[in-house]
Amino acid sequence: MSRGIVEEEAPSLTRVFSPENRSLGALRSVQWRVNLGILPPSPSVNDLRRETADSRRRYAGLRRRLLVDPHVPKDGGSNSPDLVMDNPLSQNPDSTWGRFFRNAELEKMVDQDLSRLYPEHGSYFQALGCQGMLRRILLLWCLRHPECGYRQGMHELLAPLLYVLHVDCERLSDVRKIHKDHFIDKFDGLSFEENDVAYNFDFKKFLDSMEDEVGSQGNSKKVRSLDELDPEIQTIKLLTDAYGAEGELGIVLSEKFMEHDAYCMFEALMSGARGSVAMADFFAPFPAAESHSGLPPVIEASTALYHLLSIVDSSLHSHLVELGVEPQYFALRWLRVLFGREFSLHDLLVVWDEILTADNSKLGKVSGNEEISGFKILDSHRGALIVAMAVSMILYVRSSLLATENATTCLQRLLNFPENINLKKLIAKAKSLQVLALDSKISSSLSTFDVAYSRSKSAVSGRNLSSGPVSPNTPLSVVADSYWEEKWRVLHKAEELRQDDSLDKLAPSGKRRWSEKVRLVLSRTESDPSPARAGKYKKGHRSSVRRSLLEDLSQQLGLEEDTEAGDCFDTSNIEDRHSVEGQVEGQNDTSIASICTAEERCESGSGASVSEESSSIFSDPASSGSISNDHENDTEKSSVASNLSSDDNDDRHQSDLEDSPLPVSSPPEDALLSYPDENESSGKTVSASKESRHLSGRFQWLLKFGWNNVSQEASDKGVSNETAKSANRDSKSSTADSSTAAGASRYSSPTSQRDVVDQNVMGSLKNLGQSMLEHIQVLESVFQQDRVQVGSLDNLSKTNIVGKGQVTAMTALKELRKISNLLSEM
Amino acid sequence: MVLVLALGDLHIPHRAADLPPKFKSMLVPGKIQHIICTGNLCIKEVQDYLKTLCPDLHITRGEYDEETRYPETKTLTIGQFKLGLCHGHQVIPWGDLDSLAMLQRQLDVDILVTGHTHQFTAYKHEGGVVINPGSATGAYSSITYDVNPSFVLMDIDGLRVVVYVYELIDGEVKVDKIDFKKTTATTHSAH
Repeated sequence: MSRGIVEEEAPSLTRVFSPENRSLGALRSVQWRVNLGILPPSPSVNDLRRETADSRRRYAGLRRRLLVDPHVPKDGGSNSPDLVMDNPLSQNPDSTWGRFFRNAELEKMVDQDLSRLYPEHGSYFQALGCQGMLRRILLLWCLRHPECGYRQGMHELLAPLLYVLHVDCERLSDVRKIHKDHFIDKFDGLSFEENDVAYNFDFKKFLDSMEDEVGSQGNSKKVRSLDELDPEIQTIKLLTDAYGAEGELGIVLSEKFMEHDAYCMFEALMSGARGSVAMADFFAPFPAAESHSGLPPVIEASTALYHLLSIVDSSLHSHLVELGVEPQYFALRWLRVLFGREFSLHDLLVVWDEILTADNSKLGKVSGNEEISGFKILDSHRGALIVAMAVSMILYVRSSLLATENATTCLQRLLNFPENINLKKLIAKAKSLQVLALDSKISSSLSTFDVAYSRSKSAVSGRNLSSGPVSPNTPLSVVADSYWEEKWRVLHKAEELRQDDSLDKLAPSGKRRWSEKVRLVLSRTESDPSPARAGKYKKGHRSSVRRSLLEDLSQQLGLEEDTEAGDCFDTSNIEDRHSVEGQVEGQNDTSIASICTAEERCESGSGASVSEESSSIFSDPASSGSISNDHENDTEKSSVASNLSSDDNDDRHQSDLEDSPLPVSSPPEDALLSYPDENESSGKTVSASKESRHLSGRFQWLLKFGWNNVSQEASDKGVSNETAKSANRDSKSSTADSSTAAGASRYSSPTSQRDVVDQNVMGSLKNLGQSMLEHIQVLESVFQQDRVQVGSLDNLSKTNIVGKGQVTAMTALKELRKISNLLSEM
Repeated sequence: MVLVLALGDLHIPHRAADLPPKFKSMLVPGKIQHIICTGNLCIKEVQDYLKTLCPDLHITRGEYDEETRYPETKTLTIGQFKLGLCHGHQVIPWGDLDSLAMLQRQLDVDILVTGHTHQFTAYKHEGGVVINPGSATGAYSSITYDVNPSFVLMDIDGLRVVVYVYELIDGEVKVDKIDFKKTTATTHSAH
């Protein structure tokens, strides 16, 4: 029959794998298996079949090993088992009964979830056979990966995989019905009826019987040769031929082996198949071993999400942050189930098509500074697409999010994603964002991680500070107070230059500035001097601070504005422009924080931020110039090059209070020295900071940094950011700039900018007033704290501190004067 | 896969203070679905303890039990098996198989569990099983010398029951296993 044609040459599916040809695409299960890495992307059918067979064998072996029935005696049962070990009440963990009971417990947990799986498609998913398969697959996977265990949500990842297999099997049976003659195995039905002997073969009878057959098939197509078939049907035929490579085990679309295939797909999805995105990571409660941020991967990914959102649509981002909507509230579910709960099943399959098509291999990182790394999730195309998809979804409901002032409503909107959506648009947007996500990864830094963790309200922190660096004490100690004065002068000059430049700039840039101003304003209004920013930043960054920081800063300081309020904003705006990310919080913080301690984990955000900032100030230009609480913290803490705007000081000092123990431990000789000391100590100390220390540290910070920094009012955070950026990563900052600029222009709608402009002025005024108040408060506290500090510190020379306090107080007063000047000008 | 614990004759607090610690460590809640107790606990505290192991508890009255309201005999059906429970001091001669068989026929059960002799025995008799779980505490008995603490765990699975016997001999827990398959033929109804 027509089969003979097939067996001759090794069947090839070259046509099938070409991107334009969608015939394999119609077979989702095979396509996904290729994407997940289970099946090789080879055009040869035999390869596919062999791989399929191998993976199925592995599963069968696993199942035999792990699914325990204590009644069935092991090893044939001839030997007498050691009953003391193998009885049902045995406490021995190795006993079969013990394993049996443990499996039973796992099964109970799994069942709880399975019973609630896809009730809207209950006819398939709630059927006993399907439930049994799902249960076994999940059980075996969890037994195989005891470190992960079973977590709610894994069943949702598995369900669509099983579903596509089921759909393909149904397609197969449909095709079978239509093309009976190709698919039905008539091996034993040859019409050699009476006599089987070849030599006596009666040709005439044979031909007659053939015609009878043809006639009897009626409607079925009379295709004789394989090549005449539709390519898709051809594919199906080749993949399901029971006589192909590996025989029945190699039938790629087989109902009998659905469980095996589903397990393989699930395993590949969870483990990431040696790629970058492994879904199992999202279920892990603890940070990954090589994680730089020290955050659980899902939190890290949520941060990446917000990071990208801040680049793309900073106003929405700041709005969400202002409301206190942390990304992981909704992103946890989105990421863990890969949007399984947000879309209907069929939409979800389309989304997963896209996600799985994206390559999962790790992208090489070019960063020369190995301590500073981007988000792990952005380390591959697939990860970037996932993040981009999430951001695209947020943008889809943008208007309803912006309309509400209530965090709960926002979350409700995000967690109940609308039903009728334009999926194509969503996916197209996600793809465009994916490119951006991959770009931003380069300039992202861990400082953003801090943000996710403690943001009570702070939006974006401007960055600043060049933390001094790890440079040895001596250079800085030599620097006298006149250094700061000089910087001040430089700042003023630069500011004037800047002013000229900015005026010459085109309208768009002006618009951008406005939008940045708005962001700035927003962030400032958000800034909350409450010390409740504990735990904002996770880990101090261990990146070393460059020596050149100082030099760079001095250059950049020229760009800083200080006296003019308007200038202030301008420069900050300019800085915004230059800052890499949009309003990414925590950037500043991290840089400063790094100074203090790398390990401050549950510190107040300020603390962490400070330490990080100091050390990694260069590394993280992420945040735009928008000011945030963190920023303020950082500024206070930033050492020599702190270019904090006056506004920030207040907040900073408050946040400082929670900060690093370093100040306490390191005996600063003067404020200037404190930074280098701290930097060094921060770099070295790995000890976990204690709360009490933080409190005292906070006071210390105030003393040391606050007021020197205050003197640096002129320098904006943004400037410091810029400095840092330029110092360390010229190329990166430029790309960041361009991307920011691009982002700003692309995503900040002109209309919103115009609307905002009016608010801008008011906002700036408010900010100034606030900053003034804060300064006054700081001054007061400084004196109080001096006394307190002295009392609490154990090892520091008290005289120094007190002296410093006075100095800082003086500088704070100067700052206040400047602010009043600004106001009067406005 | 039903696990049924059969024990009895603890005589707490009169003749023994408590279950042997090795037994106690094995008996953890959650694994066992039913407990049948032949009697002579003797106080309510023991009943409460057994109740923590498993909520489904069946007790028959022994002659030293302080709780007077336990029944003399009890029958229950678990899976395909009918179980009968009685303390055994009512059946004389104590421990005699034929007399116990009479009780088994009377109750019409496949598995009869009785105690009182403080000695573990398990007979396959006339298509049924007669089990004596012994004394779980190893309490003194006037009719048995050298009492070893013992109890019985039955694993009922369809038509098959596996009887695990746990005995504490010289401070070590020894386990033994007896398989019993119920014939699907009807139970003996001689009349």
